[in-house]
Amino acid sequence: MNRLPLLFLGIFLTFASAWAGLVAYPYLTLGRLLPVTNEETGELSPPPISGLAEAGQTVYAANGCLYCHSQQVRPAYLSTDIAKGLGPRRTVARDYIRSRPAFLGTMRTGPDLTNVGLRYSAEWQHRHLYEPGEVSKGSIMPAFRYLYVMQKIQGAPSADALKDLTGPHAPKPGYEVVPTEDAKALVAYLLSLKRDYPLPESPEESLE
Amino acid sequence: MIVAGILILGGLIFLSGTALIAFYWAARDGQFRDLKKGSEVIFDEDEPIGRPTDHFPVKPQA
Amino acid sequence: MTTLAASLNPGLNERTLEKIERSAIDDSARLPVLLFFGTAIFWLVIGSLLALVAAFKMNLPGLMDGEAWLTFGRVRPAHLNTVVYGWASAAGIGVGLWLMARLCRVAMMHTSLLIVAAIFWNLGVFVGTLGILAGDSRSIEWLEFPGYSTPILFIAYAFIGIWGVIMFRFRKPGHVYVSQWYLLAAFLWFPWLYATVNILLIWQPILGSAQGAVNWWFAHNVLGLWFTPIGLASAYYMIPKVIGRPIHSYYLSILGFWSLALFYSWNGMHHLIGGPFPAWMISASVVASIMMFVPVITVAINHHMTMKGQFEGLKWSPTLRFTVFGAMSYTIVSFQGSMMAIPTLNQITHFTHYTIGHSHLGLYAFFTMMMFGAMYYIVPRLVGWEWPSASLIRWHFWLAAIGILIMVGALTLGGIIQGLALYDPAVNFMNSMHFASPWLWIRSFSGILLTAAHVIFAVHFVMMLLHVGAKKAEPTLFARPIPEEETLTA
Repeated sequence: MNRLPLLFLGIFLTFASAWAGLVAYPYLTLGRLLPVTNEETGELSPPPISGLAEAGQTVYAANGCLYCHSQQVRPAYLSTDIAKGLGPRRTVARDYIRSRPAFLGTMRTGPDLTNVGLRYSAEWQHRHLYEPGEVSKGSIMPAFRYLYVMQKIQGAPSADALKDLTGPHAPKPGYEVVPTEDAKALVAYLLSLKRDYPLPESPEESLE
Repeated sequence: MIVAGILILGGLIFLSGTALIAFYWAARDGQFRDLKKGSEVIFDEDEPIGRPTDHFPVKPQA
Repeated sequence: MTTLAASLNPGLNERTLEKIERSAIDDSARLPVLLFFGTAIFWLVIGSLLALVAAFKMNLPGLMDGEAWLTFGRVRPAHLNTVVYGWASAAGIGVGLWLMARLCRVAMMHTSLLIVAAIFWNLGVFVGTLGILAGDSRSIEWLEFPGYSTPILFIAYAFIGIWGVIMFRFRKPGHVYVSQWYLLAAFLWFPWLYATVNILLIWQPILGSAQGAVNWWFAHNVLGLWFTPIGLASAYYMIPKVIGRPIHSYYLSILGFWSLALFYSWNGMHHLIGGPFPAWMISASVVASIMMFVPVITVAINHHMTMKGQFEGLKWSPTLRFTVFGAMSYTIVSFQGSMMAIPTLNQITHFTHYTIGHSHLGLYAFFTMMMFGAMYYIVPRLVGWEWPSASLIRWHFWLAAIGILIMVGALTLGGIIQGLALYDPAVNFMNSMHFASPWLWIRSFSGILLTAAHVIFAVHFVMMLLHVGAKKAEPTLFARPIPEEETLTA
């Protein structure tokens, strides 16, 4: 009695249905979305991001920001995300077409970063990455000091040196802290996180 | 992109094709009969039903 | 039944032949299976240490915060991948291959290739883990290993999976046992899952939020269509075999298999409720998640009815103790999973430590305990030696059982509190973190218990390989056959 073919049939069929629905379908639809052009201004939504910000995605991935920070705003009927000020509207598939990879995230040990670019300046981001506890009291975010270099000031201080550093890791007199290329890229990426542009599929959500 | 496209389309054809062929074969071969009664195949005369086959190690008898 | 032994010595009776055949199969499985087990236990210990580092970093953010390779965002995926691929998959492969050989009643052939595959598998895990710590993580959940290590894993797996299927192809005639269904399915599903995500997320990444769908289709199916079938295959063999009573209803077990296959593969999107996807995808996943009650209840009823009146076995059998713990956890974790998919509840538990608790209930309390149980059964039969110490087994069990209960309890309660704070628009974000903080301390403490349990198990396993302990005058229950004796007494 050989039941192998029957087994194969069932195993493949059941699996194929989910594969078609959750892999093939999104690939053919969500994976092919294009930016929308605003007819009046000619601007693209979502807007293109700089090469530096794109490089920042790799730094974001390498250091696992995703494990504490999500990047998605749920619709009002499913959450209080909008009421809590995570963004003006829910996020939709088109918001992620420039993300490589799409850092949706499944944890909020730290705040959601969907619109973090709207909230903080580059200067704040650098100080925060260097020593989170000094900028945001009570934060348990790890410090990313290894993305910065402490060096002796040669002549004039560097233009991109971090200002107003406090705490045990602040530079001694005569020294300065400058961001590495990775830190600059990461901050450029964080600043690019602004999902405030209009999209055809989302406006009604924001009114709820 | 092209590789991914081939994977998607090829995968679908492959999956459903295998399923169809297998289904045809299985139906002809009478695979849909006698699905029950298999719970006793893990027992045999040496390890029959009613005989436990695991135990905490016991101290060796002196 | 004709075997080699029978043709050589026609005088042997049926019972002895079965014994010889079984021990020949165990002999053929010895090296590859022990290699998978040994390396799995190694990665379990490494993974536990990484988990401890990650857990304490949440309590003490200043801990080793200057080191790039020990930053939380690298240690956490390193932990996940070492335990998922290094420990759980390798343990599952070992158990799966052994069960397959035994149930098909065929000896493993060309095991040297399997040994090479085991070495490659571990090489892949090693390279991948170093890659994550060095800063090459891809931050795609459950798939963080860099692109240069996943092909190694895949090639290694190809051999392993083919071996499983080949054994099934050459099985001795007779009924196909339900465990074989599960194992065959797992051996076929995994390569498809792994190949798809490797191509679509690493080599030729697809765009945008479609990645999220593929990512969670994969991550959830690794649990549902790889670990779960192996775990259940083990339970369906170990429980009846240890207590010596056939499974209550064979029909239910087959029904459970098909409903699992149908519903589980659709579940993944419930991790992204409210995410940037068409509503129907999420709805399909929510419905499928709730339909999971069907396979889970069939399995639960079946195992319970089989065990009915036999619970005393938990006292005398280590295998049964671990396996029943795993089987009960499977019921609980699946019910919990179905509940979490209900959008109203998901609003609270999504994005919190509750989900982490749920993962550990699934991967540890269910699957890992199941694997411990199977190993306690299999290893003595492979090395021809009894576990040297009953008390080490007891320590292992209680530390692991209490540890995981504390961990899941703390993460669940902490997660709900965190989730309510995240949900309430009036509560400041920072508070959600502070509310969860004491629970995370308890979680770290429970991690110490689990790590201790793993170290004890690792030591015991090594003692076993070194044949520590006295040879028993009266072998407990698994006596290896001595044909001469057997024919005299039979």
